[in-house]
Amino acid sequence: MKFSYRWLAELVPGLADDSPGPLELARLITMKTAECEGVEPASHLDLHGLAPDYIIDIDNKSLTHRPDLWGHIGMAREVAAITGGSLVDPVKVSLLPTGQPEIRVRIADHELCPRYSALVMEGVQVDLSPVWLQNRLESIGINAINNIVDVTNLILAELPQPMHAFDADKLTGDTIHVRLARRHERLRALNGETYDLTEEDLVIADASGPVALAGVIGGAETAISEGSRRVVLESANFNAARVRLTSARLKLRTDASVRFEKALDPENTVRGLARAVELFQEVCPSARPVGGFADDRGVLRPVGPILLPVNFVSRKLGTRVTLQRVVAILRALGFTVSEPQAETLIVTVPSWRATKDISLRDDLVEEIGRMIGYNEIPPVAPKVSCVVPPANPMRLFLRSVRQQLASQGFTEVYNYSFVNEAEAERFSLSISEHIAIRNPIGSELTHLRRSLLPGLFKNIVDNVRHSPAFRIFEVGQEIHGNASSLPNEITRGAAAIYDAHGDEQDFFELKRVLECVFPSSCLSAAEARPFEHPTRTAYIHWRGTVIGRIFELHPLLLQREGVEGRAVLFETDLDLAQRLTASRLLRYTPVRKYPTSGFDLSVISDIRMPADKIQDALAQLAGSHLASIEFIRQYDGPPLLPGQKSVSYHIEAGALDHTLSAEEVAEIRNQIIEGMRGRGFELRV
Amino acid sequence: MLDAKLEELRRATLAGFASAVSLEQLEESRVAALGRKGTLAQISKEFGKLRPEERAQLGKLLNSVKQDLESDYGDKKRGFEQAELAHRLANEWIDVTLPARGVRVGSLHPITQLQSEIEDLFTSLGFAILYGPEVETEEHNFDALNIPATHPARDMQDTFWLSDGNLLRTHTSPVQVRGMRELKPPLRMIAPGRVFRNEEVDASHEHTFYQLEGMMVDREVSIANLIYFMKILLSSIFKRDAIVRLRPGYFPFVEPGFELDIHCLICDGAGCPVCKQSGWVELLPCGLVHPNVLRMSDIDPEEWSGFAFGLGLTRLAMMRYGIDDIRQLQGGDLRFLTQF
Ligand SMILES: [Zn+2]
Repeated sequence: MKFSYRWLAELVPGLADDSPGPLELARLITMKTAECEGVEPASHLDLHGLAPDYIIDIDNKSLTHRPDLWGHIGMAREVAAITGGSLVDPVKVSLLPTGQPEIRVRIADHELCPRYSALVMEGVQVDLSPVWLQNRLESIGINAINNIVDVTNLILAELPQPMHAFDADKLTGDTIHVRLARRHERLRALNGETYDLTEEDLVIADASGPVALAGVIGGAETAISEGSRRVVLESANFNAARVRLTSARLKLRTDASVRFEKALDPENTVRGLARAVELFQEVCPSARPVGGFADDRGVLRPVGPILLPVNFVSRKLGTRVTLQRVVAILRALGFTVSEPQAETLIVTVPSWRATKDISLRDDLVEEIGRMIGYNEIPPVAPKVSCVVPPANPMRLFLRSVRQQLASQGFTEVYNYSFVNEAEAERFSLSISEHIAIRNPIGSELTHLRRSLLPGLFKNIVDNVRHSPAFRIFEVGQEIHGNASSLPNEITRGAAAIYDAHGDEQDFFELKRVLECVFPSSCLSAAEARPFEHPTRTAYIHWRGTVIGRIFELHPLLLQREGVEGRAVLFETDLDLAQRLTASRLLRYTPVRKYPTSGFDLSVISDIRMPADKIQDALAQLAGSHLASIEFIRQYDGPPLLPGQKSVSYHIEAGALDHTLSAEEVAEIRNQIIEGMRGRGFELRV
Repeated sequence: MLDAKLEELRRATLAGFASAVSLEQLEESRVAALGRKGTLAQISKEFGKLRPEERAQLGKLLNSVKQDLESDYGDKKRGFEQAELAHRLANEWIDVTLPARGVRVGSLHPITQLQSEIEDLFTSLGFAILYGPEVETEEHNFDALNIPATHPARDMQDTFWLSDGNLLRTHTSPVQVRGMRELKPPLRMIAPGRVFRNEEVDASHEHTFYQLEGMMVDREVSIANLIYFMKILLSSIFKRDAIVRLRPGYFPFVEPGFELDIHCLICDGAGCPVCKQSGWVELLPCGLVHPNVLRMSDIDPEEWSGFAFGLGLTRLAMMRYGIDDIRQLQGGDLRFLTQF
């Protein structure tokens, strides 16, 4: 919304060119009322003041709740309150003609149209507006059209009251109906488009059908043209939600609809007509009203007076505010205030703030707070009981996972929560199992990710240009749709090691990292998914549960992107892993008091026999005497047969209550060797 | 006679020690004088022939010679050892500027780091830390926050709507609702997380960014309390007083509502794309919790009051690190990420 500095200065006479001046005024408005987005010299000269003008641009978002600020009077009232000036009301209601109205108005539902006022003017001569009016409108971004339309637009930008002028001679019958559209009704609008209406749309209709979409746009058939002599001026108030509904459905936002959406002041309908009569005297002197004005209004339900104890204000702001200050601020903003009992006020909300903006005493606290200035409120620590906050074990777990990975050389990436079909299918995920976005930004980001892998893959492909080897990880939400109301969100941790000259050692390096993050985790071979290396894929077991997978990426995936080298990845379910940490009570095992004895054993087995199976067998056979068992090396080649390997372990054996004798140690060793032979292993002794 | 021999031994051996140029030569001299078959041992064999009073007198001399020699030998030996050690160590020179082997430490994402700091700060102040879901119901994201379907404020938030009827949360505020319903008052909580807006991406706009919601509900909570927490938050993040301004701002779930802006640290207030040329960056929309919002979560506004704020974590990260292009935060470029 654009405001003219000189226009505001007309309404607040104390406002001079240099005091406060446009820039300072814009700053004050930002600090007390609504956010200013910039101040620019106006495109047109202000002919009232015969001087250059400045335009203060206020962010529309900060006016969402303030219907009154969509017109210059509303902003001028704020300016007067901020600067201590006084507001001049340009509306002279006394100019309204009295008598029997020339046109009748019928409102079908006062909920949808609380008030409709109308006045017929005759002797109209459609012409260009005087230059001052054209300049004033053009300066705030409204095109000047002709004297009649320009007057209605000026009032729209001033009170604010959107108005519409019908060519009275093109209306059928003597009554204006405000009603819902009927099925199959259509309207050709001023913008040249024809709209099919629904029974949800509120329309203005004459005897022949709709002539305007209430609060949104007028119809082309009844629009004024050069030859128009009599006009019906509409000055009405429409239900905000209804206007918004129609405007949103038709994707048609007009200067009128954006204002009606905010719930305008119904008192302004007749004020708008009075202002029009006055302006017509200047811009269209031949025109004069015929009859009195029509005014159909429902029972307007004004907001009741608000009881406001002054100490409520002080308590909410957290700083002492005096009664005098509260009264002065509220009165400057147009509230009526009385003090029936000490330190408690009865505040009556002015009509322009009463449509939905202000109804609670909390709303009044805001008025006082902003006018005092939030910067003026000294910070105060709250007096509250000292309690330990509820724990969030997931937070500490995620932090430890992240820190472990970072200290192992991994850089954390954040990827989008979106995937597209190609990305999903690369990782064997059917796009139909993903939750789709109904209004995606582009064709790339169409669904919600069910896996972190597509993101990490993209990171690898993007970064190989700059680095021959790197490690990355992400901790993020995977979103799995399900039948219940909200999807299942899984916190996943995934990591990748990429090396342009990688070999199988990268797999074991990532396995080592896993053991740092999830101590004592182990792997078991898993059947590979299509994007995994068929013989380098495993489940990750931790505390008796499979928490994820580790795998080398299928070489074809990188190859297809023209990327050399290998990538090894893991993905883990961190929600699951966290639950596994939750109930663990650690108990210490006494340190051995007697020395242990060690010996090495080499077991010969099939080359694909998992080493941990051999180790488990050795450990089991050593029984209670086992102090520790450690892998030494693995060997294949002569003199072993092809398809065989030899795996060597160092075993420490001992007893808790004495030092084992040489004979006892030999016996344990033999027991293991015999046992292993019994299980079909050969031993190199 | 024997005393002359002893004196001679002392003189000759000390001279020998003095002239030794290596530990070996020193050792030779020591063995010659003090060894089991050395001169001193020879001399002491002759003591048997002496009279007792002579024996006592010469015994003293012998001990003194022995002590002198051993002490001098010790000094000299240590000297050689030290010199040898010094020599060896000198030869063990390494170029300490050569690179170390092995993997370098990685890095945490700047948002992660910032979020951890703020979580720690608020934990220390007795706040619970809640994580809410990224996909939310319309009820949590809008209705329960005093934003009904017809409310124009819904225009302020360009929402991603999902095929299952839910939406991607447009702010972390729905976690307020979850917090109020789960924790019950009095409560203090923060909720960091990823939020989404349907916006075209450029240097200062992202469809995916991070917020940190904060809320406190207690018997008496005021704007002065809210400002207190904001000041603590900012001085802890920036380690100095950041230049801020508090101005009115409209958010349907707070009343009064206001906005904390921080002086743009990218351009130092001169104007840049990040601050939309204004010199100020919106960082913290906040206010007292609207009575309707309390009521919708079954909290009686006559009994309880609260404040809420929604810190822009992404903006804060940009301000703290001088990041002038928001896209880098989720671009996955290691040349950017490894700087943190
Ligand atoms: Zn800037």
